[in-house]
Amino acid sequence: MTVSVDPPASESGMSVTGRAAQIFAAAQREIHERTDRLFAGLMAFQWLMGIIFALWVSPLAWEGPVSRTHLHVWAAVMLGGIISLFPALLAFLRPGQASTRYVIAVAQMLMGALLIHLTGGRIETHFHVFGSLAFLAFYRDFRVLIPATIVVALDHMLRGFFWPQSVYGVMVASQWRWLEHAAWVLFEDVFLFVACRRSIAEMRETADRTAALEHEVRTRKQAELDARSARARNDAVLEVALDCVILMDEAGRIVQFNPAAERTFGYSTAEAVGTELANLIIPARKRASYRTALGRYLTMGDTASFNRHLELVAVRRGGEEFPVEVAIAPISSEGAPMFAAYMRDITARKQADRELHKSRDAERQNAEQLAELVDELRVTQRRAEAATRAKSEFLASMSHELRTPLNAIILYSELLQEEAADDGHQSSIPDLERIQSAGKHLLDLINGILDLSKIEAGKMPLLLETFDVGAMVDELVDTVGPLVYKNGNTFSVQSEGALGSMFGDLTKTRQVLLNLLSNAGKFTKDGTITLDIRRATIDGGTTPCLEFAVTDNGVGMTAEQSRKVFDAFTQADVTTTRKYGGTGLGLAIVSRFCDLMGGTVSVESRPGHGSRFIVRLPLQVVDTAVDTATHAGIA
Amino acid sequence: MSEDRPVPPSTEGAPKRSRVVWAFAAVWMFAVVAGLSVLWAWENTPGAVGDAPAQWPAASGLSRAADAPTLILFAHPQCSCTRASLVEFAEILARATKPPKAYVVFLKPIGFGLDWEKTDLWRTAAGLPGVSVIRDDEGLEATRFGVITSGQTMLFDESGALLFSGGITGARAHAGDNAGRASIVALLNQRTTDVSLTSVFGCALFAEVN
Repeated sequence: MTVSVDPPASESGMSVTGRAAQIFAAAQREIHERTDRLFAGLMAFQWLMGIIFALWVSPLAWEGPVSRTHLHVWAAVMLGGIISLFPALLAFLRPGQASTRYVIAVAQMLMGALLIHLTGGRIETHFHVFGSLAFLAFYRDFRVLIPATIVVALDHMLRGFFWPQSVYGVMVASQWRWLEHAAWVLFEDVFLFVACRRSIAEMRETADRTAALEHEVRTRKQAELDARSARARNDAVLEVALDCVILMDEAGRIVQFNPAAERTFGYSTAEAVGTELANLIIPARKRASYRTALGRYLTMGDTASFNRHLELVAVRRGGEEFPVEVAIAPISSEGAPMFAAYMRDITARKQADRELHKSRDAERQNAEQLAELVDELRVTQRRAEAATRAKSEFLASMSHELRTPLNAIILYSELLQEEAADDGHQSSIPDLERIQSAGKHLLDLINGILDLSKIEAGKMPLLLETFDVGAMVDELVDTVGPLVYKNGNTFSVQSEGALGSMFGDLTKTRQVLLNLLSNAGKFTKDGTITLDIRRATIDGGTTPCLEFAVTDNGVGMTAEQSRKVFDAFTQADVTTTRKYGGTGLGLAIVSRFCDLMGGTVSVESRPGHGSRFIVRLPLQVVDTAVDTATHAGIA
Repeated sequence: MSEDRPVPPSTEGAPKRSRVVWAFAAVWMFAVVAGLSVLWAWENTPGAVGDAPAQWPAASGLSRAADAPTLILFAHPQCSCTRASLVEFAEILARATKPPKAYVVFLKPIGFGLDWEKTDLWRTAAGLPGVSVIRDDEGLEATRFGVITSGQTMLFDESGALLFSGGITGARAHAGDNAGRASIVALLNQRTTDVSLTSVFGCALFAEVN
């Protein structure tokens, strides 16, 4: 039987039960369609045979010498055609449809009625009825027997009632005799019904078995695919694994040897497979213990040596021994047990460990040396600080001790000048003036050194007060005027808006400006000196300040000189001291004072074009030393 | 992808097609029943019955038995319906306790060739024991006996008196129980019957002259 069925359940995602139903339906449809085609052929055959029979038995009807086509011939052609063509047409146009089967069943019985007519009511023709019912059972659908049986019963009932001889062969028959005929038909129907049911049951069983078989085949195929995929995945993993992976059978023989193992041990897979692992990569002295552990597992299930990370010694081709990290695991599988050995060459790691230990030892030694050095540095720093303090204290006390006799020298030289002038000893006056000038210079130098020492010793206090900036500047101009004007310079003070007051150290502020202006007057000849004052912020920040800019167009400085100009005891160059005099401490004090008051000082200068010193002092000076001391609780 | 899945046939328009099929089936059934009815009616329509003579015609060329009834069946040799009449004729002879003198007279119209009348009917009749098969050229004997339809059977007694005239089938070409056979058998065996005239189902022996 060739049954055209839909794709199997694997492709349609159908259950086995659904697939069985599908196969059954397809087989049933195939049977219905095939039987439709058989009946179509039978219809044509019956039609043809009816015509042949009519032509043979009663081709002509006669009236004396005149003949014409017998009505039976026309009945065979026309009526037989009508009966046969419609169901035959349905069999080709609507094969497998229930309506087609029912029409065929009715037609087949009508054909029987026609044949009975054509054969003159021969009782033998009734066998056509029983044969047709059996043929209809080919459909394996007992329902088609129902319309067929009804047609037979109706035909017998009507003919038995109106023309019993045509169906029973007797002139007079019981009006219920059709029931006897129908009963015989039903008698056959019963057997055909049973046959149909059994056929259907067998078809269902066949469909169930086919679906189950398909499912089994599909499951096996899927299992094979899964296994193949799993093998492919495992092989891929083993191929690219960085560690050695070696699979062994229960005898310890290698069955799989991955590329990492080939590289590590120096054997090809072909060489390794089939060889006992112990003989291949385990040193001879270790083989006995390995085999003992394997035997314990196989005989007693002792897994003490398995599923653990062990560090062992392995041997490469050529006999070189090297450390390996090993984990051996039994593989759970059907049949004989297998083992997987995962190995990693840890030669490099061991070497790294050793180097790490060495490195840590060296680090420990370095740390100890560093600690000793720090201790030494701390001692040295304390000594240096002590020396600095001693130096400052020494300078302070020495300066104090020097200033007392020096003031006496200056004072007495001035008195001597007055007396020499009064006494008329004019020749002595220049010498006395030199003594006085040298004394003042020396006093300035000592005062500068004293200020610097105090600052470095942290003993330069700020005397903070609120003072009027304009008044301070006016007083300053009066004081510094002679120094500025003495080289034929012009001097001007410019300010933006009202200067107001500031809270700061008036003396140091004035000293800063005095030093800058006296320097400008000293290094400028027949030039212009200006003092510009304006409100600003320090370094572009938010702290409000007063900016004092002292500008001259004197000798100026190089960039190198500008960088060192605020260092103590430093002037532009050695010739400057000789040419212009000075201690080299003025700008150093300016810088220190500005720092002390939280301000800044900077210089812009070009040789031959003059200099511009910019001082920025906060409007609210904070005495950090006092503040710190206050916070320390020692105010 | 669902391309490989079985695609259920579209049921759109199925009820309409089904209605068309059943409409055709009804028309078809009506045509079949109508055809069978026509056939049925034709098979039950008897032929014309001629005027049978009350006494054996003196002009007949057939010889009547003096010591037994004489049974004559007039037949058209090409009439298929008469085959059933021959079956019944043989049945009558078989059932008769004392066989009558029996004739089967086959018509042979003018204009037909030699042995035109020697059909299977002729051979069947000739095969019946004790039956004389006679060729009736131009239907002279049939005319003498007033027979115009094939299958008409007559029974005369020993004196030449007509006992029965009519058909011995119940319908065209239908063998089996029928009144004509039953009457003749009764007359032959018991000498009595209630029916002496029945319808004749067969071909006309003579062409109808307009």
